[in-house]
Amino acid sequence: MTDSKYFTTTKKGEIFELKAELNSDKKEKKKEAVKKVIASMTVGKDVSALFPDVVNCMQTDNLELKKLVYLYLMNYAKSQPDMAIMAVNTFVKDCEDPNPLIRALAVRTMGCIRVDKITEYLCEPLRKCLKDEDPYVRKTAAVCVAKLHDINAQLVEDQGFLDTLKDLISDSNPMVVANAVAALSEIAESHPNSNLLDLNPQTINKLLTALNECTEWGQIFILDCLANYTPRDDRESQSICERVTPRLSHANSAVVLSAVKVLMKFMEMLPKDLDYYGTLLKKLAPPLVTLLSAEPELQYVALRNINLIVQRRPEILKHEMKVFFVKYNDPIYVKLEKLDIMIRLASQANIAQVLAELKEYATEVDVDFVRKAVRAIGRCAIKVEQSAERCVSTLLDLIQTKVNYVVQEAIVVIKDIFRKYPNKYESVIATLCENLDSLDEPEARAAMIWIVGEYAERIDNADELLESFLEGFHDESTQVQLQLLTAIVKLFLKKPTETQELVQQVLSLATQDSDNPDLRDRGYIYWRLLSTDPVAAKEVVLAEKPLISEETDLIEPTLLEELICHIGTLASVYHKPPSAFVEGSRGVQHKRLPATANSPDASSAAAVADAPPAVIPSQGDLLGDLLNLDLTPTTTGPTPAVSTGIQMGAMDLLGGGLDSLTMIDSVWVQVWVPAMKAKGLEISGTFARRAGVIQMEMTLSNKAMSVMTDFAIQFNRNSFGLAPAGPLQVLIPLSPNQSIEVTLPLNTVGPVMKMDPLSNLQVAVKNNIDVFYFSCQYPISILFVEDGKMERQVFLATWKDIPNENESQFQIKDCHLNAASSKLQGSNIFTIAKRTVDGQDMLYQSMKLSNGIWVLAELRVQAGNPNYTVTCLLWVQNT
Amino acid sequence: MVTALPGDQPPVVMRHKDRYFVHVRQGGLFWVATTTADSSPFTIIEFLNRLSALVKDYCGVLNETNITENFALIYELLDEVLDYGYIQTTSSDILKNFIQTEAVSSKQFNLFDLSNVGLFGADTQQSKVAPSTAATRPIQGSREGGKSEIFVDVIERMSVVIGSNGVLMKADVEGEIRVKCYMPNCSEIRIGLNEEFSIGKSQLRGYGAAVRVDECSFHQAVRLDEFDNHRILRLSPSQGELTVMQYLLSDELPSAPPFRLFPTIERDKGGRLIVYLKLRCDLPPNSLFISPCVFNIVVSLSQELSSPDQRAELRPESRAVVWNIPRFAGGTQLSALFKLDIPDLSSASLLEVGPVSLSFELPKLTATGLQIRFLRLSPIQPSQSQRWVRYVTHSDSYTIRV
Repeated sequence: MTDSKYFTTTKKGEIFELKAELNSDKKEKKKEAVKKVIASMTVGKDVSALFPDVVNCMQTDNLELKKLVYLYLMNYAKSQPDMAIMAVNTFVKDCEDPNPLIRALAVRTMGCIRVDKITEYLCEPLRKCLKDEDPYVRKTAAVCVAKLHDINAQLVEDQGFLDTLKDLISDSNPMVVANAVAALSEIAESHPNSNLLDLNPQTINKLLTALNECTEWGQIFILDCLANYTPRDDRESQSICERVTPRLSHANSAVVLSAVKVLMKFMEMLPKDLDYYGTLLKKLAPPLVTLLSAEPELQYVALRNINLIVQRRPEILKHEMKVFFVKYNDPIYVKLEKLDIMIRLASQANIAQVLAELKEYATEVDVDFVRKAVRAIGRCAIKVEQSAERCVSTLLDLIQTKVNYVVQEAIVVIKDIFRKYPNKYESVIATLCENLDSLDEPEARAAMIWIVGEYAERIDNADELLESFLEGFHDESTQVQLQLLTAIVKLFLKKPTETQELVQQVLSLATQDSDNPDLRDRGYIYWRLLSTDPVAAKEVVLAEKPLISEETDLIEPTLLEELICHIGTLASVYHKPPSAFVEGSRGVQHKRLPATANSPDASSAAAVADAPPAVIPSQGDLLGDLLNLDLTPTTTGPTPAVSTGIQMGAMDLLGGGLDSLTMIDSVWVQVWVPAMKAKGLEISGTFARRAGVIQMEMTLSNKAMSVMTDFAIQFNRNSFGLAPAGPLQVLIPLSPNQSIEVTLPLNTVGPVMKMDPLSNLQVAVKNNIDVFYFSCQYPISILFVEDGKMERQVFLATWKDIPNENESQFQIKDCHLNAASSKLQGSNIFTIAKRTVDGQDMLYQSMKLSNGIWVLAELRVQAGNPNYTVTCLLWVQNT
Repeated sequence: MVTALPGDQPPVVMRHKDRYFVHVRQGGLFWVATTTADSSPFTIIEFLNRLSALVKDYCGVLNETNITENFALIYELLDEVLDYGYIQTTSSDILKNFIQTEAVSSKQFNLFDLSNVGLFGADTQQSKVAPSTAATRPIQGSREGGKSEIFVDVIERMSVVIGSNGVLMKADVEGEIRVKCYMPNCSEIRIGLNEEFSIGKSQLRGYGAAVRVDECSFHQAVRLDEFDNHRILRLSPSQGELTVMQYLLSDELPSAPPFRLFPTIERDKGGRLIVYLKLRCDLPPNSLFISPCVFNIVVSLSQELSSPDQRAELRPESRAVVWNIPRFAGGTQLSALFKLDIPDLSSASLLEVGPVSLSFELPKLTATGLQIRFLRLSPIQPSQSQRWVRYVTHSDSYTIRV
């Protein structure tokens, strides 16, 4: 006789029979009966009618039977709340049982029954069990608090269970500590601001001690909790890292990943020149490599995480390229992920190896994989310039195979290579043209047409080629139609004599015979351009194109930061923030990496700012600048960088900064962020200096359908160290269609970095929906301080001392002195002296910028002439 | 009920409405966990694997009947292992204290029934080593006596890439030491490894050829106090299966790769593709037999095979020729000639031939050279107890480019 017989009874009087058996006197028979009931329950039969009979079996000293009955209760109590109350007495009694197994069982089961009446009775036993002498009971009780909190959060708070739970963090048994941490973390997640997990160096120390002793699963709870802590300084960060690193060699990959998460996060705090930083980098590589020898499912999840880690810190795995080479028996999803990481790690040092691999992959059987491999070769060419030539010749070899999809992919990537390295590889065009007929995918056709149009002057029969596409114009996809239209217009502009007919044909096809508005509009634009001003058309259509940037599919930095905080979780598999796919309140909190170490990485920041202008300033670049932003309002002290800021700022002020002098008008409200670009949030505003305080006056308008809350603001480093002097005061939630005016006082003690233009300010505004970035310019006049009036003597002496190269002269047109002077005064531009020479009024003025730079100006006014000449001198006070 | 899932979802994790499903496949059964939160798939996958191992430990064999037969036991296990989604423990030693239900076993253990061996983790390839019934025995059964036995398996997986010019491009070995213990009164096992065993690149020990690995991780039950000096692993065995040590050797093999291939691929006048393969086994002569070998020649051409000279078959769906070799002695050489009729064969098509992939199993051999020096049990076990120390090397991915 085996248990499987329980699943086989299907007779009609079954319930009745079971009832009789449950009420039997024989223990063995009762147990058998309960097993049958549970079996029916498992396969989805409704056995709730047996509730009273099963509950009657509850009072037994047979633990096995008791467990079965409890199992039944957990399942049916909710549907039979009135009857469930019958069980309460036994539960309470069991919580006092001398056997710890029974005590724990009772409290565990009660926590799983979501019936109010039972919950009421749970409090007292739970309180006792939390202080039980047996750790098995305590650890069960700790989890029970989390269960109870989910049912009735208020009750848990009122009963003071949270404090008891906090005490359990110091328990002598590591398993109890682990469960207490897990329970507290879960409760804390539903109360983001409760500060429930009051992590301080003492508790962290306790957790780290428990970490060494508890089970692998407990280690995961503790590590995940540690990841939420922000160390006070780099030394604390380092000491935690040191104690977490041994976990990296654990056999359980979940422990390893949780440890990696903690380390990746705390590494942010470590200065890069620290020896330990290098050591840590080295230690992170082997465990990640080891993950790749696990079963394919784990490998896939690991690769998704490695993809994130590589984007954040490529140096960790830069020497490990080989482990990402695909094995022939890898499942396709592992292969594709590996390819992606190979490209991310590709560099001049390893490109030869990578290319050799990719070439092999391009001849494999799986079509998806081959396509991606071919594309990868193109991406290598774009990423590593030295390899471009070899990549192109590899692609040409592949085109020779004439395998249809290989050829098409190759053509798509070659188009990108042309855009990255213009006028270098056009010799291959002939080969490409040979394969024109085999192209049947829109993307490849569009790419080929683009190439023909772009290089029409080098292809003798370009008109024939394009004409051949034109025959089936209406059957093509929009992508191809648009490309064909543009290509023929380009061709016409290059060879106008022979192609007039062709261009007319395509224009009429696009404008008259097509019902696609995009195509029609583009057609009309070309048509009018060509008919009104062919020279302008040439300038527009054949304009030099910006080069494409290297990495096109990088994850946006703020998202990447958030994902790094979620290493090892589903978010890291989907590469989406948890709020995007987890329902409910949990996970809505955006986690952030801690701010960078206090020695600012000035050189790299400057490098970002001076990014080669050839690259399209995509949104990514701007975001790169804001990468170091921490979105909590900071009140940093004065930075020592100010003095260097003065030197670099001096000449630029003369260059262009003073242009904005003419725009002193403080009513200069601009829309900084249109609602369309910020998920419904519109930000407009202006800057002003009022009573010695620089203010940013903003209007936030909610044009979305949902309420906006949790506003915060942060500036990127800027030329004059402007920074918010306090948090953004939006105290009430912003309802749809509501606007609020906010005045944000600013100070000038923030970090300094030269911007271009000088008065450019990059701002990040956060709300409960997302983070938005914009840049705006402030009038330089807001920086003129009130004590900018110089003594006459000092003015004279200084005027002579300032070297010529600090001098600049320009004209202001159409200005009226009377109107100007009052404005000048209001803007802290002080007139020191006035004299008249040769019928010209000379005004001498001084102003002082917030960073200590003096500007001395001479304003020359000729009576009756509205054009003024200004001579400006800059003086940096050496204090 | 989930009936179908969109195809664009990543494997491993599947989504249906707000619920995420994570599954693994063990013993022909799907083990599925669901979550609605942003939990860790690593934790879930590791847990499902442990759970299946636990159920196997408790029920003996993993199959559908056994699961239905022991549903009460599995419910009880789950109840102890998971509390409100928090994993409590997966150690069979600790769980022993809580579990009340006895395992039910429908099948009489039969020495000749080898269908459920799977000792080496490979379901398809049967071991030539006689397995013991103990391997498929529920651990609790051993409480009532029975044979006391211990198995120590050293299992290695090789992945090798040999370039078309014969140069070894990549060679990794992943290995593990697994212990299966069915000795109720054994308190400590001491496993001695080669004394010259070294970890990392810099460290060298002993005089002989060092047995070296790059990375090494141990089960947390292993005590390493004698490891540094004497290369001895100490552990208190739990009943059931335990992976004691895992290691990894990358980019270096202590000896030449076991198989070399000398291919010739050309086009004959009749437009046929001629593939001539010469395969050499570089293992010590007379020492080894390699049991079933499958050679996958991925020929990316889906055409008819005109005259197969060897025991081989063409698989058009994967565009491959498969060459089966049941046994292959060390130090010998085999050859095969394939002729493939392919219309429109161009010289460029030759680029598409290959690579050759080999799968094999090498018993009594470790690629790293790791050996178990001794296996000591304390207290000293009665003489009828059996000890098995077994070595095997599998191919994980053995690819030769042509």
